[in-house]
Amino acid sequence: MRRLLVHLAALLLFLLCAGPIGLSLFASVVPDQAIFSFPPNWFGYSATSDNYRYIFTGRIPATYLTAGANRNMISDAARQVPAGMLNSMLVALGVMAVNIILGAPAAYAFARLRFRGQTATFLAIVMSRLVPAVALITPFYLLIQAMQLLGTKAALIIVHSVLTLPFTVLILTIFFRRIPRDIEDAALLDGCSRTQVFLRIVLPLSRTSIFATGIFAFILSYAEFLFALVLSGDAANRPLSVVMAALARNTDVSWGLLNASVCLAVIPTVALIGIVWRFVVEALLERGAEFS
Amino acid sequence: MTTRTYDRYPMAWLLPVLVPVLLFTLYPVAQVLYTSLHQVIVIMPVEPFVGLENYRQVVLSPGFREALVNSVVFALVTAPLTIIIGFGVARLLLMRFFGRGLLRAVVILPWVLPGAISAVVWMWILHPSWGILNLGLYHLGIIDRYIPWLTDPQLARLSVVLAFVWTQFPFASILLMAALGGIDRGLYEAALVDGANAWQRFRFITFPSIKPVVVVLAIYQSLVALTSYDLVYALTAGGPGTATTLLSFQIWKESFSMMNFGTGSAVGFILVILSLAFMAAIIKALPAAIIRSG
Repeated sequence: MRRLLVHLAALLLFLLCAGPIGLSLFASVVPDQAIFSFPPNWFGYSATSDNYRYIFTGRIPATYLTAGANRNMISDAARQVPAGMLNSMLVALGVMAVNIILGAPAAYAFARLRFRGQTATFLAIVMSRLVPAVALITPFYLLIQAMQLLGTKAALIIVHSVLTLPFTVLILTIFFRRIPRDIEDAALLDGCSRTQVFLRIVLPLSRTSIFATGIFAFILSYAEFLFALVLSGDAANRPLSVVMAALARNTDVSWGLLNASVCLAVIPTVALIGIVWRFVVEALLERGAEFS
Repeated sequence: MTTRTYDRYPMAWLLPVLVPVLLFTLYPVAQVLYTSLHQVIVIMPVEPFVGLENYRQVVLSPGFREALVNSVVFALVTAPLTIIIGFGVARLLLMRFFGRGLLRAVVILPWVLPGAISAVVWMWILHPSWGILNLGLYHLGIIDRYIPWLTDPQLARLSVVLAFVWTQFPFASILLMAALGGIDRGLYEAALVDGANAWQRFRFITFPSIKPVVVVLAIYQSLVALTSYDLVYALTAGGPGTATTLLSFQIWKESFSMMNFGTGSAVGFILVILSLAFMAAIIKALPAAIIRSG
């Protein structure tokens, strides 16, 4: 009985988290009139990839030409989705690289070195993320403008790196503290410098955690909206979140197209989420802790 | 070997992170403070110093007070709800059941999905005339008239709260899983021997053990709610009327639709001050082990 309840609760939670995306996937492959048919006839129409084909090739699906579709609208705003995804992924890759290259040494210093102002600088970096970005949007704009980077991918890479580095430093500091000190101490006694210890021992030992934490930064950058909106400039550079937000408020897009866009847009996040859970979250939780 | 000596050149490791992070935190805060004390309207060539005039204007305007009330209520409702749901989910995810590994990964999906995409998905569910929720309820015969989820002020507030909690509970769950996992099993066994019931076990063992995490989460989630913008904005654009206009959106309104950066920055700086208070509270509430360095 108790086991049954647990499984039922688990199923409910699964539907709550994945259900909305599942519904989107379903709605993206059936014609709109199937969803709005009455009496409901959701499965009476054959599945179609027309919405996806339109997004990539611009070929208007036949169902939009027949009368009676509830929202027989189409807009080439949906066609910006693939380019938006590419823009966002390029930016996110840059952010991931910056996070790994700059974040790992900083985290190592917090985990292993001792210096004056250690706690203060650590808190300054970690807490900086809690200053509401929305209040600072105009000065960010002015800074990027002063660097003459408005409308470039570099601008977003810089800003997203500043926003994600606090997370990376926090997570990696925890990971580095967990590495047994003995190996490093032995190497130091043998005359290795801190830099050599970091490069030859710590990096190889924790490359999975570092990579997975970088992936987390990738996901956060891919999801960011506000700065993407203000700093990205013209259509060619527009990141995905901006394209999606425009779609959400565009009444000329059919549900089928909108949902096909959603399903394409979430692919990177869904594909990478397992890595983050397995190598970041699960590793941060003490292993083996369990309630029966 | 535990050295008590200080390492040399620590800054070489840190500066590449510290400099950009501080530059992009301190300069913007200073800039917002400066702008909030001047009259900055886009078409005007001069920016005279006006002292606290912008703050006076902002505090006296009904729009600000409404946004402040909305934000405070939003935070007071979403933070506890996030923690309660997060606790239930954490408790569930620590049990044994079929497919747990998959579910654990799926659970963080709402938290990491781009806010704009969550908004699209929820829009599709809640849309008053084309949403799937109304459609389903109507066809199942539960309602005989479509419910205006996003166009009635009270329902819009409810919808926005539910969608927001949906995006936030996974983070609470993760922290609470860590806290729950750290509780000594022996305590529960001893309590069972003493005949403690489920409520007593929660009241006297579970809750005291996870209280530090709950406190930090409560403050953090309130702060996140106070400063959130993308999901609520994309779902309702602050409407209907001003029913879901939050402080963060008020900054946007003052600055970009009224083109008055002085008053917009005043709202912004008030938000910064609020968040500084929350940060101080978090630092106070953090378990020493997390802050302690080295």
